[in-house]
Amino acid sequence: MRYILRRFGFYVLAAWVALTMNFFLPRLMPGDPATALFARFKGRLSPEAMQGLREAFGFTHEPLLKQYITYLGHVLKGDLGISVAYFPSPVMKVIGTGFVWTLFLAGSAVVLSFAIGTLLGVAAAWWRRGWVDTWLPSALVFVGAFPYFWLAMVALYVFGFTLGWFPLGHAYSDDITPSWSFGFAIDVLRHAVLPVGTVILVTLGGWLLSMRNSMIAVLGSDYVNLARAKGLPPARVALRYAARNALLPSVTGFGMALGFVLGGSLLTEIVFSYPGQGYLLVQAVRNQDYALMQGIFLVITLAVLGANLCVDIFYLWLDPRTRESRS
Amino acid sequence: MSDSNVASGITAWVDAIRRDRKASIGAVLLALFVIVGVFGPLFAGDPQALVGIPLQPPSAAHWLGTNGQGQDVLAQLVVGTRVSLAIGFGVGIMVVLIGALVGVMAGYFGGRVDGLLSVLFNVFLVLPGLPLAIVIAAYLPSGPLTLALVLVVTGWAWNARVLRAQTLALRQRDFVAAAIVSGESKRRILVSEILPNMMSLLVAQVIGSTVYAIGAQVGLEFLGLGDVSAVTWGTNLYWAQNDSAILTGAWWTFAPTGLCVALVGFGLTMLNSGFDEITNPRLQLERAWRAHLGAAGQKAGRSTPVVVDRG
Amino acid sequence: MSLRARFRGAGILFPLLLAFGGAACAPEHARAPKGVLIVSQEQQSSWIRNFNPLTTATSARWPTLAGVYEPLFVFNSVKSQYVPWLAVAREWREQNRVLRLTTRRGVLWSDGRPFSARDVAFTFDLLRRFKALDRRGVWGFLDGVTAVNDSTVDFRFQRVFIPGFDEVAAQLIVPRHAWSSVVDPVAFPNEKPVATGPFTEVRVFQDQIYELGRNPHYWQPGKPRVEALRFPAYPSNDRANLALVFDEADWAGNFIPAVDRVFVKRRPQDHRYWFPLTGSSIFLYPNTTRVPFNDVRVRKALSMAIDRNLLVDVALYHYSRPADATGLSDAYSAWLDTTVIARGDWVKHDLARANSMLDSAGFRRGPDGLRRLPNGKPWNYEILTVSGWSDWVRASQVISRGLAGLGIQASVRTYDFAAWFQRVQEGNFDLSLGWSFEGPTPYNFYHWLMSSSTVKPIGEASMGNWHRYGSPEADRVLGAFEREPDPAAQRGLCNEMQRIFSAEAPAIPLYPNPSWAEYNIRRFDGFPSAANPYADPSPNKFDRGDLLLVLTSLSPR
Repeated sequence: MRYILRRFGFYVLAAWVALTMNFFLPRLMPGDPATALFARFKGRLSPEAMQGLREAFGFTHEPLLKQYITYLGHVLKGDLGISVAYFPSPVMKVIGTGFVWTLFLAGSAVVLSFAIGTLLGVAAAWWRRGWVDTWLPSALVFVGAFPYFWLAMVALYVFGFTLGWFPLGHAYSDDITPSWSFGFAIDVLRHAVLPVGTVILVTLGGWLLSMRNSMIAVLGSDYVNLARAKGLPPARVALRYAARNALLPSVTGFGMALGFVLGGSLLTEIVFSYPGQGYLLVQAVRNQDYALMQGIFLVITLAVLGANLCVDIFYLWLDPRTRESRS
Repeated sequence: MSDSNVASGITAWVDAIRRDRKASIGAVLLALFVIVGVFGPLFAGDPQALVGIPLQPPSAAHWLGTNGQGQDVLAQLVVGTRVSLAIGFGVGIMVVLIGALVGVMAGYFGGRVDGLLSVLFNVFLVLPGLPLAIVIAAYLPSGPLTLALVLVVTGWAWNARVLRAQTLALRQRDFVAAAIVSGESKRRILVSEILPNMMSLLVAQVIGSTVYAIGAQVGLEFLGLGDVSAVTWGTNLYWAQNDSAILTGAWWTFAPTGLCVALVGFGLTMLNSGFDEITNPRLQLERAWRAHLGAAGQKAGRSTPVVVDRG
Repeated sequence: MSLRARFRGAGILFPLLLAFGGAACAPEHARAPKGVLIVSQEQQSSWIRNFNPLTTATSARWPTLAGVYEPLFVFNSVKSQYVPWLAVAREWREQNRVLRLTTRRGVLWSDGRPFSARDVAFTFDLLRRFKALDRRGVWGFLDGVTAVNDSTVDFRFQRVFIPGFDEVAAQLIVPRHAWSSVVDPVAFPNEKPVATGPFTEVRVFQDQIYELGRNPHYWQPGKPRVEALRFPAYPSNDRANLALVFDEADWAGNFIPAVDRVFVKRRPQDHRYWFPLTGSSIFLYPNTTRVPFNDVRVRKALSMAIDRNLLVDVALYHYSRPADATGLSDAYSAWLDTTVIARGDWVKHDLARANSMLDSAGFRRGPDGLRRLPNGKPWNYEILTVSGWSDWVRASQVISRGLAGLGIQASVRTYDFAAWFQRVQEGNFDLSLGWSFEGPTPYNFYHWLMSSSTVKPIGEASMGNWHRYGSPEADRVLGAFEREPDPAAQRGLCNEMQRIFSAEAPAIPLYPNPSWAEYNIRRFDGFPSAANPYADPSPNKFDRGDLLLVLTSLSPR
């Protein structure tokens, strides 16, 4: 329990760092949000209308510390400000439209990739110098070296544009109303195949290699040899004894991979016009919609931190040493 | 470690790379791109020049066709190689230097220093990299320096963590313990005992970080966060997307660049895994054992505890 | 713990994986129902519900600004004439100090309540009270707006300002009964619009899609014939173009490279486009406060060094034509002075003459071939353009090439939009590409090109006239135009503006922008085309209501 609390404390700290960066970055950097706002309307706005808008957005000249405290207070209340590009919608509302999709895309990609890659890693280590071990890692490393979005572009071009096997984008068909039905689920999966598939393809190699290497190390250890010597069935040795322990480094990496994949899937989303945060973030940057941009960063960060906490708990359950110290 | 030691170390590595198939593939690929990056731009001509009608497929005059701006894709690819590799390696080295500084300090001094630095890099490690990079890049004027800065800020933490662990491990080794007991200065221990023993890890980290830097750089530039008027791999892809490459079927504007990014990344990773086989004692032992068995005309059996072979 | 239990996580995953694979074989989804027109105009990744017609142009969902709400008069920019809409008649009174509009009778709001002149007065009063809503700056010249009775409204002007009608006419009208209780109309998302337009009923609103149904009380009997408009969220130009090519969208207003090959050839019987040249004109703006661009001979020589035929070929896939000496687009065809065009040889490519003009102006070439200023500084300039705007970037490259023939080294410099915009607004540039400012008459266009009243000092952001050129002669003609209600006399003044522009060349016109429109006639009929040019075909043309003409003319096949 103390372990979990300590981790929780750490994540709160990390969240605070993210918040603080969010606050100070725009204020340290050159450029002024008001001019950006002006630019946004390409001069189609009369000066009086601009002044009125500026007031509506609440650009103030208060002391920095006071602004900082107000800012923290607002964030705690879930108020991330007003989006310039989607005026007058609050940032939280804009983010709310697509966040589930980002979580779905990145989440399923990470979990699937981790599961498949790890199993392949076990196989590669168990059948050393077999075909899985000889060819797959190199092939996957090669595939993994492609940029996410490039692979996504190619997949879209080949399987969507040319062959027409998969839809060209979006999270579900335009004429289906979202509902908890089988038909909708199938439709969502159909739209997810290419984006999730490309992310999996790129990240698979990492999991495979990590699991393979740690599995090799574990397979050479005394207790595995002991288990073998006892004449336990090979599958049981491989999974119950070896894989479980070999999984630990991969699980540690899982938390970090989440952040990494979330980042990468933002790019994939853009290619597939998936209605998540990726395109929103890029648009926010292009429109200099700083409030929205920071809001997205913050929400993604919090999601990653939360997921990391879950991973920590899972790790605790998996690792015999921490379990023993607990009991 | 004396100079002759360093020299023999390098020869040993070159030798090892030559012997390892993966490492040699990686080294050849990498050398190829470095040569193109260094000398290619001298022959490629002006990549920004308007040479013909936009989006022409590959032809004898333009081997990789023209892009949506009516520029020569090959020239852009070659010139882009230089910039992208330069930023990649530059960031790779910077990231490891900073990581080494923080990691070794944390590992060596321990105590409060370690606690503080560990929290720092752990926080950076857990913050999602690309979104952070996007947010920082959005505030800075676009250009290679911004890009490098952003990549360093988001990339150093991993190295710090790895190198801290390595330093901790080395501290407990006999020779370092002996040096501490014999009263050598901390700086001397760091410079002459710990760092030399981390060399191979540092090289591996530089290679790994370069892969990261190239990938992240291309991604950010693809989003239009680089200097889009510069010629780099990432901006090439940005323009391909911007000029409707998929819609117009102009595969030649994005396929070669993506392939190059992948080949460089692949080459570096192969080189690294080759290194790993060379420097990882466990795999080394296995290799020696295998060579021994091979020479004896035998196959590794289950009875050998170290070599596990199910093939 | 058993082996199975340990890997139950993986056990869940595999069926999921199978589902991914199996789902790939599911049949292609059904097409939109009959009568539902699928439009792609805005590029968004997901929709935010906002139908506020008064706040800034870009935050409300299309077609809030011409389709849900309606203006007093619609301006048909292809025919260059006003069409009475919510107002049916106009009259200048009291020595042109008061504009009296008669509103249409029998118009109902979509909730069934009657529309009246009082709604008009209320709307203008809102703009007065909330400056952020006054997009067109009408209260810069208005003094008061009063409803005389239910069908008459008087606009009292601060001074005689005839072009003010254009801004009043384009104002969208909101219902008093629905808006008088809105506390903050600036931040009001207006999720359930009550309006007079042809499409007012929000039938569906989701992240990826929304649908607008017919106004049950629309004032034009039997219209609209289209049952509903559907808007899928396409985040990029590219994605929207794909939708067009694959018959997923019926109507869009995007730039498509090589449109004949990419779009039309896929389905020649249905895929159509029409790009009338009614967009804003694209200029090369020289900073006229700087030497040598303060010299009209230099500006004209620069203009003559540009091969505009090559430029429209390379930069615009030949979708446009070279600009003529008036700089005006085809939206002003009714106003053109053909003698100015015929005599305006300074927009024709003639390198030899351009060179001799510079020679005779005293700008000699140095030993390196570059021309020199009197103080010996070589002519080394940057052409500013916006990164990502590939047509502009290509155009700049063609210009740069042309100027090289004059002994000017002009390098193309791209900036992010905001950075570029700041530079041009503050006058911090030598040469830059830029757009023109449009209106129903050429008044606005020339006002922002050469009126002294629009010249701001260098360093101060200016909405237009970035090149900072003021012409006393133009001031006189523009001023006369502001006080002239008679159309025939207005024409004469416009001819004079064109003559002055061609003589003084305050900026270098390049080409008029096309108005982008692609459509699929498989399911719908009645799109404007070159053969039937009844209105501007682009869904982007909502600023002065063109769009309403198209929306009320389309019909399902």
